[in-house]
Amino acid sequence: MTTADSLAGQETVGVWLRAYDAQWNVRQSDGETRAKLEVLARFCGACGRQPDELVAWLFRPTPEGPRIRLKRRREVMALIDRFEAENGGRAAGNTVRSFLIHNGVALSAPPLR
Amino acid sequence: MEFKQVIGLRRSIRYYQPYRPVEREKVQIVLEAARLSSRAVNADFVQAIVVDRDALPAEDRESLKTPTTTAQLDLAPVWIFWLIDPTAPRIGQSSLKQLVDVGALTPSHGWSHAYVENVVWPQVLQPILADGGTAALVAAVEAGLAINQALLAAVDEGLGTQLTALNAAHASRILGIPEHLIPIWIQLLGYSAEHIEAGGQRPRSPFEQIYFDGRYGTPYERDEEVVERLRADGMLMTEAPYPWRKEELRALSRMFGLPE
Repeated sequence: MTTADSLAGQETVGVWLRAYDAQWNVRQSDGETRAKLEVLARFCGACGRQPDELVAWLFRPTPEGPRIRLKRRREVMALIDRFEAENGGRAAGNTVRSFLIHNGVALSAPPLR
Repeated sequence: MEFKQVIGLRRSIRYYQPYRPVEREKVQIVLEAARLSSRAVNADFVQAIVVDRDALPAEDRESLKTPTTTAQLDLAPVWIFWLIDPTAPRIGQSSLKQLVDVGALTPSHGWSHAYVENVVWPQVLQPILADGGTAALVAAVEAGLAINQALLAAVDEGLGTQLTALNAAHASRILGIPEHLIPIWIQLLGYSAEHIEAGGQRPRSPFEQIYFDGRYGTPYERDEEVVERLRADGMLMTEAPYPWRKEELRALSRMFGLPE
């Protein structure tokens, strides 16, 4: 079972948390980080992939560098939409999106209008 | 707005007030500005389709997005699809003669109907038309001139605007675009939800690094007095990022429920 604690050693999680702090000039508290990791853990449980595995699955190595797999990206975006609807709304969905964005997977969410 | 201020204030706006429509007359002004741009052969290298975001089915809207084109499409209420026409010089024989007739191309510079007929058409325009790569290059430059005027006109009208990438194949299918036209950009129009200065003027390479005097590599010296005058006129503004830009972006993200 994926838990917040089990994600701590994942490289992509470290990348995400460091990049988030650098992007927004913040230092997230342990409580904020834990809350995010719990959401990410729930998503990983739902999609059946650990964070490092999920990010790697979304890229294809090429001589020029890793390239995004667009079909898989669409699949994950749909999965996040479902996760968001069933697991805590937009904030939860955006936690997962933020994790992917800071690991180089460009995506967004439909703006609330 | 003064011309220099318009240049100084133009930004690629990525957050729009999604609920606020754009007045039809402002859209027309943007198109009118593009129509008057400098253009080779006086040909229509660029055409446009104006689309109301909410008139497109959600599925079509989604299919037009690329990985780098996301929330801004959902936020901007008006989309102008700019189309380039590499075959535009096909009218060159008549359009150039018309320019001779109206006094734009003159005998003092060597222009005549005979020159158009015997030299320009067969030796310049036909070879361009026969070479797809060159024709597309010419069309892209000419379209860029027109589109830039459209961007500046939008700023002058108090609108936010941006050029954004699109899935051209889907655009052609959805909008019924003829095969010889290439969708090149979507210009978004709307009222900006971010401050119109959008965090400051974007960083640019140093002036002397890209402009030369007399010979490539000899920097064109930048006169600081001119720089000061342009600052006073609003063309040169404080460079990004403003100290509060990240807070602004975070607030916008939260307002629209977008990821951080």
